[in-house]
Amino acid sequence: MDMTAHMDIMAVMKADLERALAKPLDQRRWAMVIDLRRCIGCHACTTGCMSENLTPPHMQYRPVREEETGRFPATGLRFLPRPCMQCDNPGCTRVCPVKATWKREDGLVTIDYRKCIGCRYCLVACPYGARSTDTGEYYTGEFHARTYEVENSGEYGKTFRRRSHWHSPVGNARKCHFCIHRVEKGELTRCTTTCLGGATFFGDLNDPKALVTKLIAKGNVFTYKEELGTRPMVFYLL
Amino acid sequence: MTLFGLLLPEKERLATTFREIVAGRGGVALYAAIAGMLLGGAGIAAIVFLGHGRTTNTSTLVPWGMQIATYVYFALVSGGCIFTNFLGTQFFRRTYEPLASRVIFLGLVNALAGFLSLASELGHVERLFWFILSPNPTSPMFWMSVWYTADIAILLVEYYNVRRHHHSKGLLYASFIIPLITYCSLGSLFGAVSSLPYYYSALLPVYFIFAGFLAGNALCAAVVALRAAKDGCRELLRPFIRMQKIALASVFVLAFCRTIIGLAGSGSGYEIFRETMVTDLVFGMVVSLVVPFLILTYRKSPGGVLLATAIVLVTQFIARLDLVVRGFRVPLFRVYDMPERIGYTPSVAELLVLLASAGTVLFLYLVAERSGLFEAPAKGE
Repeated sequence: MDMTAHMDIMAVMKADLERALAKPLDQRRWAMVIDLRRCIGCHACTTGCMSENLTPPHMQYRPVREEETGRFPATGLRFLPRPCMQCDNPGCTRVCPVKATWKREDGLVTIDYRKCIGCRYCLVACPYGARSTDTGEYYTGEFHARTYEVENSGEYGKTFRRRSHWHSPVGNARKCHFCIHRVEKGELTRCTTTCLGGATFFGDLNDPKALVTKLIAKGNVFTYKEELGTRPMVFYLL
Repeated sequence: MTLFGLLLPEKERLATTFREIVAGRGGVALYAAIAGMLLGGAGIAAIVFLGHGRTTNTSTLVPWGMQIATYVYFALVSGGCIFTNFLGTQFFRRTYEPLASRVIFLGLVNALAGFLSLASELGHVERLFWFILSPNPTSPMFWMSVWYTADIAILLVEYYNVRRHHHSKGLLYASFIIPLITYCSLGSLFGAVSSLPYYYSALLPVYFIFAGFLAGNALCAAVVALRAAKDGCRELLRPFIRMQKIALASVFVLAFCRTIIGLAGSGSGYEIFRETMVTDLVFGMVVSLVVPFLILTYRKSPGGVLLATAIVLVTQFIARLDLVVRGFRVPLFRVYDMPERIGYTPSVAELLVLLASAGTVLFLYLVAERSGLFEAPAKGE
C-alpha cells in the first residue's frame, strides 16, 4: 500500500468518525478492525499508545504479540496487536464490586480512577489479559520521576495526575479505552494513526457506510475467544 | 455493654500481662508473635509507602498472590472456627461448652488477620466506602464483603452471648448460616471466573466451606490439645478429633472430585490439572489429608493431635496459595513473548504480610489467654 492510499484511508476513517460524532451517544458503536496480513510488528501502535496515555513501566494498553500459526512443518508467524476488546458482554464490569468500571452507551468499557479500589478482580476476570494495575512505578525511579511522567495523561478527558492521591490512577486497574479523549475531539485513536502498515481501522459499527462495517462484512474476520460469549468489538482480518 | 471482663479480659489482668511482657516474662511464643507483628508491620509499611510495584511480585500476569492467599486462609480458618462452634454446641454440648468463647474468639481474630492481609493488597483501601455508595450486585466480591461484614457482626453478638451465658438457639443457627453463606460467597468469587479454568467451578464454594471447616477446626483442636497437654484432661479432645476426621474425609472427597473434573476438562487451561496431578495426589491428598487422618486414628494423645493439626494448618496454607496462584499459570495468550507457564514466587514483603497476620492471631490469643479471658467465663452483665 502506498502512502497516498494510506492517507486516503485515514481521511475515510476521519469522515466516518465525524459522521458518528454527529449522532447521539447511544446510536454509536465503536469498533476496531485489525488486518493481521498488514501488521508488520513494528510496535509503533504500542509506543504511540504509551506516550498518549502516559502508561507506567510494565503496562501496555496495546501490546503486539507474536503468534505461531499452523502445525509443523507448515508453520507461520503473525503479529497480533491486542487492545482492550471493548466486549459487548464484558466480564470485567460485572465483577467490579463498586461499579468503578462500566460499559458506556457507545460500547466503550471505561474505568473511573476515583472509584477503583484496586482489588484486581477485573484483571482476573478479563479473558484477554487486557487490564493492568498501575503500581506507581516510574521509568526513571519513584523519587526522580521526569516531569512528563507525573503529568496529566488526559485519559477519559479528565485530569488524573499521578502524584495526586484522590485523582491518581496509581493503585488502579487501567486499560485501553479506544482513546476516548481523542475520539470525542474528533481525532482517531492513537494506534490507528501510528500504524505503519495501515493495519488498524477504527469507526462506528452502526454506520453501514463506515469502513469498519464494510471490512467486517467481507467475511474473512474473526474475534478472539468467541466461545466465551464476550462478543468483542475488536475484529481481526485474516 | 461491659467491655472489660466480658468481651475483653479484666483491666487489671490485662495490665499485669502487659507489665509481664515489658519485664521480659512473656514467654517465647508471645515474643515470637510480637516479632512477627513488628516485622509484618514493616512489610505492610513498605508495601503502602513504596508501592506494590516495588515490594510485591504480583503483576498483570499474576494479579493475585500471597496476600490474597493469606486473606483466604485466615478468612476460612475464621469460618472453620464458627462451624466448629456450631457443631460442638449441637453435638458435644457438655464437653464443648467451656471452650465456646475461646473458639469464637479465635474466629474473630482470624477474621481480623485475614482483613489485615486483604487491606494491604488493595490499591486503595481508603475507597472501601464505595461498597456502600456504589454497590454492584452482580459482583461476587460485593456479596462476599456484605456477608463478611455480617459474619463478623454475628460473631461479635454470639461471642457476647456466650460470654454472658445467654444461649440463643436462633442466634446459634444464624452464626452458622451467615458464615456458611459468607464462605460460599468467597468460593464463588473464584468459582465465577469463567476465563480461568482452574478457578471456574461450581464445586469451589462447597470446597471452601469444608476446607475452612478443616483449617479452623484444626486450629481449635491444636489450642485444645495444648491445654489438654497441660491439664491432662484428654476428654476435651474427643469432639475435636471426631470433627477433624470428618473434615479431613470431606475435603479429601471434594479435592479428589475437583482433580477428576479438572483432568477430564479438555479446554485451554485445563492442562494445569494434568501437570499438577502428582503433586495434588501425593501432597494435596496423601500428605495433607490422609496422614493427619491416620495420626488422629492411631494417636489420640495431645501430641498426636498437635502433630496432625500442625500438618493440616501448614498444608492448608500451601493449598490456598496453590489455589490462588495456579489459576494464572497457563497464560491467556499462547504467544512467543509469553512464557509457557507463568511462575510466581512471593516477595519478602508478601511473606512479611503473612507473618503480620499470623503474629496478630497468636498475639491476641496469647494475651487473652494469659489475662484469663477464657478461664472463668463472666456471668451475666
